[in-house]
Amino acid sequence: MRPFIILLAGLFLANTALAEPVGSPIPVGIAVGQTTNVALFGEEQVNGAKVAEKLLNEKGGVGGTPIRLAFQDTGGDEAGAINAFQNLISRDKVVAIIGPTLSQQAFAANPIANQAKVPVVGPSNTAKGIAQIGEYVSRISAPMTLVAPNALKRALKLNPNVKNVAVVYAQDDAFNVSETGIFQEAIKGMGLNIATIQKTSVKDTDFTTQVTAILGAGVDMVVMSCLAADGGNMVKQLRQLGYEGLIVGGNGFNSPNMYPVCGQECTGVIVAQAYSPKADNAENKAFSAAFKDMFKKDPAQFSAQAYTSVKVVVDALNEVEKSSGKKIAEMDTAELRTALNAAIVSSSYDTPLGEIVLDADGEITQKTFYVSQIKVADDGKTGTMELLPE
Amino acid sequence: MFLENYGFLIVAIVQQALLGMSLWYPLMAGQLSLASIGFYSLGGYIAAIMGTSPAFAAWREALGPALYPVEWLIALAASALLGLAVGIPALRLRGIYLALATIAFVQVLNVVVLVLDVTGGAVGLFGIPQPFESRLGYLWFFGPLLAVMLIFSARLTRTVAGRSFMAIREDELAAQAMGIPTTFEKVRAFVIGCGLAGVVGAMSAPFLNTWNARQSSFDASVACLAYVLIGGARSVWGPLLGAALLVALPEVLRPLKDARLIMNGIVLVVACIYLPQGIAGLLASLRRREAA
Repeated sequence: MRPFIILLAGLFLANTALAEPVGSPIPVGIAVGQTTNVALFGEEQVNGAKVAEKLLNEKGGVGGTPIRLAFQDTGGDEAGAINAFQNLISRDKVVAIIGPTLSQQAFAANPIANQAKVPVVGPSNTAKGIAQIGEYVSRISAPMTLVAPNALKRALKLNPNVKNVAVVYAQDDAFNVSETGIFQEAIKGMGLNIATIQKTSVKDTDFTTQVTAILGAGVDMVVMSCLAADGGNMVKQLRQLGYEGLIVGGNGFNSPNMYPVCGQECTGVIVAQAYSPKADNAENKAFSAAFKDMFKKDPAQFSAQAYTSVKVVVDALNEVEKSSGKKIAEMDTAELRTALNAAIVSSSYDTPLGEIVLDADGEITQKTFYVSQIKVADDGKTGTMELLPE
Repeated sequence: MFLENYGFLIVAIVQQALLGMSLWYPLMAGQLSLASIGFYSLGGYIAAIMGTSPAFAAWREALGPALYPVEWLIALAASALLGLAVGIPALRLRGIYLALATIAFVQVLNVVVLVLDVTGGAVGLFGIPQPFESRLGYLWFFGPLLAVMLIFSARLTRTVAGRSFMAIREDELAAQAMGIPTTFEKVRAFVIGCGLAGVVGAMSAPFLNTWNARQSSFDASVACLAYVLIGGARSVWGPLLGAALLVALPEVLRPLKDARLIMNGIVLVVACIYLPQGIAGLLASLRRREAA
């Protein structure tokens, strides 16, 4: 009996919050989907985070102490995200978590971190209500409220005679459903007529029904909220069946994966972007150069957003170190997490996305968005997105 | 420390075992159905809507924590009724056709859920009220249900109903010749599974904090079937053993990083080849060898 009591007492002591110092290097958690069908985005996020680790540590990390990224795969489901968060919080003892990839996963896992008082920065969650999950949750991925109307305005500049518009969206994808809402409001706000609304699925490959309906409606602009693979295929089929008007794609089109899917037919498609590798600011130039150096290609939006998340955490850590006058590595983990969260919100940051501001809720305001036009190269597999002039 | 890190995982094993069990009953009557995940989704939506919709604010106010059992009962009733409606026509089909029909049913349900407003479309519902502080607390939901279902299953194998199920599994024609109303018994086994899946869904919505159409993916259907087959379709303990292995393995292998899913796959292939009766079958044969 006695050894049992001692064991219990030992467990109890081990369990109570003994002051645990953060240690060096400072652990920052990355919980994104590195497997399943989300991996397409997750890989880009991992790459962006790795560039951030290298670049920010070279710049001195946090007052000379380097950071170390701890990666935990969330897979594509809600349970995986919760497991990854638990591991980062209690095993890796990270100061903050960047993730998860999908909004639905965020609704499942973020309350866990919020309860454990660990700051979460969402790199790619755009659904309504993410930042409102709790005090410790913020995000750097803006909903498309500003950029969608902008993209439409640029399109009208290319063809001022547009009257009738067709709207297409992937109804099984959370991001596209919320984006199309913004597009539709903007279209009505500009006094244009929505002639038809077509729903698709991100798993579809054949769009004959939808394309026929659009051609029958006699529209001169198609506004699409789809992802790269399905959207690319639909653009291809629209063009092949003879549609000649403007095509405006949402942020789902902002991916180099578009080019090989629809080849030359993509040329001329207007894309609303939360990030462009061509963005003209010092942070982005340093980031895209380092990214190209490491991965031999332009960074995608998910990479830039992952980089931005790490930068937000590192900037806030520096801020905590400066204002408290204590070395982060020697601070107690729980105490630091709270101080760090307070520093993350209500601040502004210079990032590859341009200047961003997080309000007291942790909700982002992004100052600059980009509208580009796709230009596919002669090989039909590669291409660029050329920024449209203001 | 251990419980803090693995609390969610332990409860997830029990939860998935119960889902596996909901396929186990139709399998006991020889019916390969993949519909459970649809009823799981339905139950989850019932709990999520009752937990978040303003229309149910008065209910939440009046019932307090008693809201949860009420959700389970409504989910049970709805799932059993829908199970009956789907089961009667579907169970005229056999083998692979029944499996296909049940997959189609889940797809239909998914499209309905994506189109409706009350289910939150593609984003789903979130901010579901929490009865417990920690994830481990949910053992109070799933644990007793598992105990009840294990006892029920063990008893079932000794009753007329259970024996009829097994007779149908072994030979439907012979069972019919002996006077067993085969369609009735098949529907009965199917509806038990549907009701259970519905209740598990209603318990799972608060457990996962959120509910959406992704909960009833085809992958999830297949995972449930795998619990039963790897665990052992002929044993009461099969779904629990299968879920324990399949849910825990990727988490226990986490330190292997990228190699973990490869290891996971290898274990599954080995289990399929060398354990035709599942883990339960292996344990039984070990016991027999010891006794001999």
